[in-house]
Amino acid sequence: MSTTFLPCGVYHENYAQDHAWWQARFVKAKMILLCLLLFVAIPLVADAYWISVCNQIGYTLLGALGVQLLIGYCGQLTLGHAAFLAVGAYTSTLLILEFPWPQFLIDWGIAYPISIFIAAVVAGVWSVLFGLPSAKVKGFYLILTTMAAQFITVDFVITQYVSQIGGRGQAFSIPPGIIKVGPWVIDSDLKIYCMMLCLVIVCVVGLANLLRSRVGRAWVAIRDNDISAEVMGINIIKYKLLAFFVAGFIGGIAGAFWISNLAAVSPEHFPWFWSLWLVGVILIGGAGSIHGAVFGSMFMVVVMEVLQLAVIPLADTYPKLLMDFLFIKEAAFGLAICAFLLFEPNGLAYRWWQIKNYFNLWPFSY
Amino acid sequence: MELFLMTLTTGIMVGGIYALVALGWVLIYKCSGVLNLAMGELTLIGAYVSLSFYSMGFPFLLSLLFSLIIGFVLGVLTERIFLDRLIGEPILTVIMVTVGLSFFFKGIVELIWGTDTRVFTPPVFPLEPIHIGPLFIGQVYLWSFVAAIVLLFIFVGFFQYTRWGLAMQATADDEMAALSIGVSARFVYATAWAIAFMAAGVGGTLLGNINGLNISVGYLGLLVLPAVVLGGLNSVPGAIVGGIIIGVLQNLAGAYLDRYFPGGVKEIAPFVFMAVFLLFKPYGLWGWERIERV
Repeated sequence: MSTTFLPCGVYHENYAQDHAWWQARFVKAKMILLCLLLFVAIPLVADAYWISVCNQIGYTLLGALGVQLLIGYCGQLTLGHAAFLAVGAYTSTLLILEFPWPQFLIDWGIAYPISIFIAAVVAGVWSVLFGLPSAKVKGFYLILTTMAAQFITVDFVITQYVSQIGGRGQAFSIPPGIIKVGPWVIDSDLKIYCMMLCLVIVCVVGLANLLRSRVGRAWVAIRDNDISAEVMGINIIKYKLLAFFVAGFIGGIAGAFWISNLAAVSPEHFPWFWSLWLVGVILIGGAGSIHGAVFGSMFMVVVMEVLQLAVIPLADTYPKLLMDFLFIKEAAFGLAICAFLLFEPNGLAYRWWQIKNYFNLWPFSY
Repeated sequence: MELFLMTLTTGIMVGGIYALVALGWVLIYKCSGVLNLAMGELTLIGAYVSLSFYSMGFPFLLSLLFSLIIGFVLGVLTERIFLDRLIGEPILTVIMVTVGLSFFFKGIVELIWGTDTRVFTPPVFPLEPIHIGPLFIGQVYLWSFVAAIVLLFIFVGFFQYTRWGLAMQATADDEMAALSIGVSARFVYATAWAIAFMAAGVGGTLLGNINGLNISVGYLGLLVLPAVVLGGLNSVPGAIVGGIIIGVLQNLAGAYLDRYFPGGVKEIAPFVFMAVFLLFKPYGLWGWERIERV
């Protein structure tokens, strides 16, 4: 599903055109429309509730990108990605709360962006640490070591030790107004939304470009068959660890971003469930494409919100339903994963690709 | 020294239960190649079903029997509905379907039985501990261990001597050869899931007797993974030994390391051990080494 057919009448005359991101004027127009939708239409039209839904989508997407890279592109199965989100979130929170920033950095509002970057690097290094077994094991065994990463990081190191720093007990509360980017204090959903868009665009563009470079092709080769990749002269340990680093890096950005949306950071925000959720997102969206991560996170977040909206009116007649919603959500998520894997194993991205090609080739689809 | 012996015996006894559940896991893997991450939820279902029957007033053994029957039916259904279509799919697909199943089952269990801790009332096993030499052992532990061992022997006997068991062994050994001599692979898969459900149900019921029954009993399903990795994924004796080792290790870590690393060492220790163990012996104690060819 890699080739997208170009509309009739588009020819490439040199390599630059062949490698261009937007290969036809039509595509460029579509992208500009998309940008208008994201930057203008949604902030103008949507109310606070839907903006916060968008923020959730963005957070899920940032988390899922790393999982997509590891599972979809590098073939390294991971079920512990929430650990790296947690590392990112905690590093950033600790830096903001405890680090003696020079006053001018706080005034200029660079403290939080710097902490995001440091958090991303720390999460990346932490991820490499738990990616080390991938040099030796793969498949199911790798799943086990990444699970171990989740339990060791979140349930042990963070809950027992990191939470003790500063004597705050279980949760690190983030005072309002402390998170500042440049001149803006991030205090409303709309500002979080803008920050989310910037981060998502940077991450998506960065990852997409990385994936079509030598590094990305090496990852795909490792995914397809790591032994033949090694025979072709790819240093597979180096590239696997690089994949873990980049995935952890993006995960760290996601975690550090999400603290702007939280009143307090606690280990319950990063349960094992969330790791599985992220894997579910990319499977539903379609493994092996960035579109997949986008569609998957949109689908999952929106479906869950709609489910919740559907439950609320019913709650008057069945009050127990509201209490049980968490369980319904869990069961629905499980069933959705099963159903997608059984009936739509290529995910939503594959359908998107089909629809797009149908219109690109219309009316002569042969 | 006394502390050591006490922890050791408790560990072995709890390990017996782990071994029973691990056996069910290995069975599914051996017969159908499915890596099952839903084992914890299977234990929950079995445990809650037998608890429901027990609180309705049925005798304990009878409610256990009911839970076995329901487990059998559910196992066959699960295999038929979900996993039958996945034969030959990539490993991630199969694993994630079992993850999906685990969420589905967990949600259903929580919907039906809620999240509060429930206990078997009146207690099934007497509460006074038994003295063996210098050791005190809770009767719950002792009887659970005995029950687990008896069931382990029944299962092993089933594989060695019955027609169904031999068919399962044949399929695990070489699926093509088994098909060619008239063993129905689909039947074997369904049986494997049914047996896994039953073994997990018994394990869950026994664990529920020890500490009371709530969602965290499902954590057992995760503990099975270190056990089977330790023993080698496709080795039945490995699963039993691995289960017992993990039980002992967990209790020893709880008794000795808790002083130095306060908090959840007991829950983490098996996973740390497993991660380190994998680095040195990726195929476990008695697992088959797969030699990969391009």
